[in-house]
Amino acid sequence: MSAAIEPLVQQEAAPPKRPGTLARLLREPAAAFALVLVVLVIGAALLAPVLSPTDPFDNDLSLAMQVPGSPGLPLGADAQGRNMVTRVLYGLRVTLLMGLASVAIGGILGALVGFAAAYYRRIDGLLMRLMDVMLSFPAILFGLALAAIFGPGIQAVVLALSVATIPLMARIVRGSALAVMGLDYIEAARATGMSDARIILRHVAPNCLSSIFVFATLRFGQVILLGSALSFLGLGAQPPIAELGAMASDGRNFLFFAPHIAVIPCVAIFAVVLAFNVLGDALRDALDPRLRT
Amino acid sequence: MKRWLYAGLLALGAAAPAADALAQAAPRNTLVVLREIDADNYDPPRSTARGAGEVIYMMSDTLVSLDWDQRTVRPGLAESWTVSEDGKTYTFKLRRDVTFCDGKPFTARDVVYTIKRWIDPATRSPVRWRAGPVDDVVATDDYTVEYKLKEPYGELLYQLTLFFGSIVDQATVEKLGPNFGVQGFNGTGPYCWGSWSPRQDFVLTRHPNYRWGPPLYNNPAPQVDRVIWRIIPEANTRLAALQSGQGDVTQYIPQFALAGLRNVPTVKLARQENYFWDFFMGFKVDKPVVSDPAIRRAINLGTNRNAVVQATFFGAADPADGYLNPRTVGYDAEAAKMVPRFDPEEAKRVLDAAGWVPGPDGVRVKNGERASFLLYSLQTTEWRRMSEAMQADLRRIGIDMRVQLWDATVGWGKLATQEFDAFMMSYPYISATDGFSLYFDSSNRPTPNRMNWNDPETDRLLRIAKTGLAESDRMQAIAEAQRRITAANVWVPIAREQLWVAASQRTEGVRPHGIYGVGLYKGLDIRLTR
Repeated sequence: MSAAIEPLVQQEAAPPKRPGTLARLLREPAAAFALVLVVLVIGAALLAPVLSPTDPFDNDLSLAMQVPGSPGLPLGADAQGRNMVTRVLYGLRVTLLMGLASVAIGGILGALVGFAAAYYRRIDGLLMRLMDVMLSFPAILFGLALAAIFGPGIQAVVLALSVATIPLMARIVRGSALAVMGLDYIEAARATGMSDARIILRHVAPNCLSSIFVFATLRFGQVILLGSALSFLGLGAQPPIAELGAMASDGRNFLFFAPHIAVIPCVAIFAVVLAFNVLGDALRDALDPRLRT
Repeated sequence: MKRWLYAGLLALGAAAPAADALAQAAPRNTLVVLREIDADNYDPPRSTARGAGEVIYMMSDTLVSLDWDQRTVRPGLAESWTVSEDGKTYTFKLRRDVTFCDGKPFTARDVVYTIKRWIDPATRSPVRWRAGPVDDVVATDDYTVEYKLKEPYGELLYQLTLFFGSIVDQATVEKLGPNFGVQGFNGTGPYCWGSWSPRQDFVLTRHPNYRWGPPLYNNPAPQVDRVIWRIIPEANTRLAALQSGQGDVTQYIPQFALAGLRNVPTVKLARQENYFWDFFMGFKVDKPVVSDPAIRRAINLGTNRNAVVQATFFGAADPADGYLNPRTVGYDAEAAKMVPRFDPEEAKRVLDAAGWVPGPDGVRVKNGERASFLLYSLQTTEWRRMSEAMQADLRRIGIDMRVQLWDATVGWGKLATQEFDAFMMSYPYISATDGFSLYFDSSNRPTPNRMNWNDPETDRLLRIAKTGLAESDRMQAIAEAQRRITAANVWVPIAREQLWVAASQRTEGVRPHGIYGVGLYKGLDIRLTR
């Protein structure tokens, strides 16, 4: 019944409204699922102190390695007898924060370099060769070196991952900024005597935002994976901080006896990375003007 | 068709690892020893690594040997010895039937050369002090050596059982120069240098003439043609290799697996009860917070040693209720009783009485200073678990222990600095005097005396313990030193590692020894049945 009426309603509403980014995003089931998962993960991390049944650092050695499903321990206990639910919630927090900080610091610095390279063509070559040099350092190796110098810790991991993000972001931003730079309205803005900073901020940056956003989301997943790997190697979070990679590393020795200690944080890492990757992919499709209908 | 293809693939998938395992199965009359890490070199005075000792004990001999009880000194290359009245001259009578791997006969000149090379500053031996206050070493004839000291040194015979004084051949040392112990070796041991692929394996071949093994073994000669020391760093892989017959013996059994391994029918386990390898936490006594004796006492009281040790070692270590193992020569039971027992309420009272009051975040405060200190240790599973368990204990009494674990490549360097307030470490020792002189002598600052313990009275007692002529004086002095250190709570004794050796079904005569942590020692009684 309503199907017959709807075309009429659409005709009345002219011109047809272009669906928003969010709507386009939600059209894809995988993307919708990823978005829900991301929201859940972030929510769980933010509410960790409220949701957690116990203190994250409080151990009870008599409960060590209790299997999932034991009384009061739905996900079991780790080797120190700490509730795995609490540890995973707090671990998500640290892991997400680590990813966010790395992507934010690396992304902002990288974007600045990218804009500078695109806008001031004289230093373009120099900046891009510098980025090439940075690209040649594997992030894990760089993290190892930093940890050796400053000591292992979350700061060292964030620094390493930020530095590893800078050249990637710079290249992407430079590419999209260059395309914008060739357009007439930039020429017009120049002619009216606008300052360089104003042109970059008001006219170039907003047109590059979608690619920055997509890349940052995709990078977030990669950064979490790299950060967890560094923590797994013992270079990241130091005891007693809960961090998913460090938790997996801790449980690796008991793989035959108490597999849940390693498997649960690994599943959490997997879910977070998958969610951000699918979301990043979907965002790219949703924000791509060529795919707009 | 498709089904057959799948079946074929499946069969192939199942057969491939089996074939692989068969191909790698230990060969006949070759003993495959599995271990965790390699050593940097195999030159006796230039490496302090247990991994170096494992192979050097098999490639060379020491003047005297140590019995299974870890206190009786037995003959080695020296068949007998006498000590002069003043305790300054040791005269060793050497065996006459000994040859090096290259066939050259062994004489007193080799002993003189070896000891002089050990203490020569040019050798840069980190364990030079172990040779004692040497005045001179002379060969009075081909088979008699006089070891002359500037002052008596009661520890000398024990120290000479350690692999640092293993006899080496001068010609080979001079030929290989700095590559001695890296590219080759020439010793008088039951096995000879075959080949070394660093971080992979070390192959030893039987020394055909060898029949001068120390009398603690039933056999004076080796029973196996070849010994391969294979490195498998990953604990679970090492275990699997042992159970599948790719290896015959290992002492590197992950603690969490020990209980399970007892039920594996293909694996034989043996334990050495007289084993001195202890885990402890030490305080830098001149650093803020931990310089307060009340804090150190409270940390000792607040540590639930039994639970920490159980959580870390799963029954494969014993809680250390004293600074030393009760089976050690020179152990003082009175001192051990002075180590505070676990009593968190008492810990809180001690802190209250010393003016450390709980702050807003639960951490105690005194005169604006938080009861917080920085701990350094190495990044291994044990240290991680141990420090985390202790950290939780100390939080309950209002002390904040910050943990920083370093990778071994930089860790030892970091542990030699003054950056930290406390550290955790483990170490092997032979006697009370050996262990205490190493750690508490003020002249051993900053390392291994990382506590910066600088006490003239301790130094005086350690001096008597080392140089006293009468044994009763030496024992009295080392006992007093133990009480002095224990009263000051310079350490938190944590655990005593147990030495277990796991061996495959085809081995016989595997008995763990444990000198300097080395499980197999000379391994002369080990036989392979197939």
